[in-house]
Amino acid sequence: MKTQLLMTLQVTVAPALTVGDVPFGTRRTAPLAGGTFEGPRLRGTVVPGSSADWLLLRRDGVLELDLRCTLRTDDGALISMQSFGLRHGPPDVIAALARGEAVDPATYYFRTMPRFATGHPAYEFLNRIVAVATGDRRADGPIYTIHEVL
Amino acid sequence: MATTIASRPLMVLRLATSTPEAIGPTPHGALTIVPVTGGTFEGDRLRGTVLGGGGDWVTTRADGILALDLRVTLQTDDGGVIHMTFSGIRDAATQYFRTAPRFETAAPQYAFLNRLLAVGIGEIGPDGPVHTIEEIL
Repeated sequence: MKTQLLMTLQVTVAPALTVGDVPFGTRRTAPLAGGTFEGPRLRGTVVPGSSADWLLLRRDGVLELDLRCTLRTDDGALISMQSFGLRHGPPDVIAALARGEAVDPATYYFRTMPRFATGHPAYEFLNRIVAVATGDRRADGPIYTIHEVL
Repeated sequence: MATTIASRPLMVLRLATSTPEAIGPTPHGALTIVPVTGGTFEGDRLRGTVLGGGGDWVTTRADGILALDLRVTLQTDDGGVIHMTFSGIRDAATQYFRTAPRFETAAPQYAFLNRLLAVGIGEIGPDGPVHTIEEIL
């Protein structure tokens, strides 16, 4: 599979809202307080207020991530991004992540499939691609390395 | 930080389809439902047949791109049943045809499918759509 780097997205997560036990697992909502993204073709900031990650800890221990965020490029375009992701790993690694410790991202699975939508002509190519991201959960929020699937 | 995305082959999925049903223009675009009547899938870790009753809900967007929304049921050669969905993009102008498959199963030997993300490279073969699906490592 051929890919090329689209951007690195670093987000800052605000304290999560715990919705609690729902029929499919345990649900939390983590609003994004902000963030930045940078790649060869686009760069800018995450717009707080319209960005959050809807988290569902499934009964099989896998965390489903449903991120929706708005990106503002340095030349003023707004880009809507949505990604579905999965995060899981050995219990001790997941526990260390929950404590906010620095953990080697190679020790757990954290992958997402971002999709983009924009009305800005300079970034229309984003409407036409499938992308894959690897995640690295840091104490203040994840860093996503996002690749375009070629 | 990963500079490449590692993947490995999961399966090649060949779909048999029947005459599409054109729903027509909807608020999101022209919707066409392509029934999936059967097919096969084959990979190192699983193989079997596609059961009838699935389909691909294809919306032609205002920019000409086809937005794909597929649901099918896979049955493995050892009796496992797998619910598979994908969303995807098909651009007839560039032949870009990529999907993001997801799987759900209760069969213990295929539980790994519940925990992975995947990418499909699609093409239209002489006998119907063929999706070469890679697991994202």
